[in-house]
Amino acid sequence: MGKLRFLLALWAAKLSIPALKLTRHNGTDFPGHLAVRLCPDFLRYAGKPPLIIAVTGTNGKTTVSNMLSDALETMGRRVMTNRAGSNIISGISTAFIRNSNLLGRVKRCDIAVLEVDERSSPRIYPHVKPDFVLLTNLFRDSIMRNAHPYYIADILTKYIPASSRMILNADDLISCSVAPDNERVYFGIDRMDSDVTECINLIDDVRICPRCGGKLTYLYRRYHHIGKAECLDCGFASPESDYFARRVDPALLTMTVREDGAYYPYSLHTDSVFDAYNTVSVVAALRQLGYTHREIGSVLRQITVSSSRHSEEQVGKVRLVRQMSKEKNALAGSRAFDYIAGRKGRKELLLMMNCLGDTRHWSENTCWIYDADFEFLRNDSIVQIVCAGARCLDYKLRLLMAGVPEDRIVCEDDEFRAAELLGYTPGDDVYILYGTDSLERAYRVYDHMKELARRSAGAEEAEA
Amino acid sequence: MRVEYLFPEVCHLCGDGMNIRYLRQCCPELEVVETSLKDRPAFLDSTVDLVYLGSATEQGLHRIVAALLPYKEELIRRINEGQRMLFTGNALDVLGEYIDCDDGWRLDCLGLFPTHAEYRMMRRHNSFFLGSFTDGDFHTDVVGFKSLFGHTYGAGLDEPLLTVERGVGRQIGAAVEGFRRKNLLATYLTGPLLVLNPPFTKWLLRQMGADDRLAFEEAAMDNYRRRLEEFRDPHRDPMY
Repeated sequence: MGKLRFLLALWAAKLSIPALKLTRHNGTDFPGHLAVRLCPDFLRYAGKPPLIIAVTGTNGKTTVSNMLSDALETMGRRVMTNRAGSNIISGISTAFIRNSNLLGRVKRCDIAVLEVDERSSPRIYPHVKPDFVLLTNLFRDSIMRNAHPYYIADILTKYIPASSRMILNADDLISCSVAPDNERVYFGIDRMDSDVTECINLIDDVRICPRCGGKLTYLYRRYHHIGKAECLDCGFASPESDYFARRVDPALLTMTVREDGAYYPYSLHTDSVFDAYNTVSVVAALRQLGYTHREIGSVLRQITVSSSRHSEEQVGKVRLVRQMSKEKNALAGSRAFDYIAGRKGRKELLLMMNCLGDTRHWSENTCWIYDADFEFLRNDSIVQIVCAGARCLDYKLRLLMAGVPEDRIVCEDDEFRAAELLGYTPGDDVYILYGTDSLERAYRVYDHMKELARRSAGAEEAEA
Repeated sequence: MRVEYLFPEVCHLCGDGMNIRYLRQCCPELEVVETSLKDRPAFLDSTVDLVYLGSATEQGLHRIVAALLPYKEELIRRINEGQRMLFTGNALDVLGEYIDCDDGWRLDCLGLFPTHAEYRMMRRHNSFFLGSFTDGDFHTDVVGFKSLFGHTYGAGLDEPLLTVERGVGRQIGAAVEGFRRKNLLATYLTGPLLVLNPPFTKWLLRQMGADDRLAFEEAAMDNYRRRLEEFRDPHRDPMY
């Protein structure tokens, strides 16, 4: 009965694909959504490729799974991914539907690289048992959905199959605690010049030893709890990395990876430390699949890494920068603020990371604002901050608490009018910070900013 | 003027730590004593104007109970003597008899209140809250958020901190929220309670014997008034 129900769900879902194409809704999760509605354990019966890699974690899972699947495809593997859809059960089911024949057997693919939302683990892993689970990191995410990273670590430990081999971030002690009985390898990055020992962030989730509760000492700390720690009371320490990135050079975009005492050169795609983490995690995964460092280095140079979270362009006399900072996510805000404050030049900022979905029928839980390091914005290079949207007064209060001078802060409910309050002073970098929920409106506000930047440059020239 | 922040190494979720930061900004002469899990709380032996305990992970709650249990009798004595304390978020649960979790664990707590908490780990509760706080002639509206794994049961309407206007009290359907015993104030509201509620904070500062001028008072009041308006809007459902 179960198999029959599965087949009916599969056929219905497959039939929906051309219908979606005709109505220009191609690329949605609808087929998977429909299949799971008709057959709740659809994934149990779906045919699986011989090898499955799950990529999960708070940050970087989309980029890492894309890098991994691109690398594998470049090396001739036929890869099933869920990159066209979501990382929850409907998106993953859609990937299986698109890659199966009418009997539900997998076609063409010999490997699956699946990006899996951590919170969706209970619905995925009972039916899709990955050979490898690559866990990028665990941080605080939405307080409302994900509570705290230890909660997510517990969910992963509970649902990741005992047979899955873990590929873990040695610099993240929360990730390291996941699935403790599973086989595992670690990746990490050696001390960097910019590292510190004391935490400068509000979010610092690994302060005490997980074994004895004693205070942890950090030999080096990159940001938040990422770094290398030890407990002087009981001897507990961060694990050693099997794949250890060293000499990360953001200027030359190079690093080396140490494995078993030998060093191998790699290129980076960007100057951010996140790219170094993404790259070394992909190296670890591909080494687990048996590829040589030479093969991996070569293929990583061929693939491109696209970022939907950051873009910039010169418009008129200013540089306009789109910077995603996921709403309800203090960590994302902190990383974005730190990055912006560290860049050269004068900056003007438009903050619109409000959750628009909550605006009409609820009222956004703003506790996350008080976990985010707005203190990074107390920086003389940031000359103006325009707070926009329903939560503009919350931003203003938080900025004042962070020590930002009041004369640099402006509030405006309407995001389009807020864009008009920016200075567009020649030579400035003008940022818009937005969340995934406000994406569509943020793009329209950005277009308005472009228009204003052009107009401002025109007025400047006319005056000259 | 002294505030004791208990166990900051585990009680720092949901922006709770900003309650202490804000008090310090309101009252620059304030001394903040941070007491770690392995230390004896300062308020047991010396004058402390406010003891604060904030939200923690579930493992953190276990550690808090283990840290406070040796001092249970002294804690009860200090509360009865009128020690001023503020507990926010799930820190409230350590005051009850036990926490029962559907994940298969139970934590015996301090048993100061005849209550217990029930956690449902895959059904997180999210809501906004509007209620009122009364102390003699003083009355104010209190706003806040709940983001919790469960609720507390068993105390009926006894010893309430807040009266519910909109949102969820001690449990769904309850008319009261939190607990108050003398100067012990405990609420399930998470995060920067004092930042979001300037009138309540002014009252608290007066109770502590401090000047009740607030840091960034105008901005805090503007923000408070807007939130009150939103929370009273009948088109907005308190439940997420």
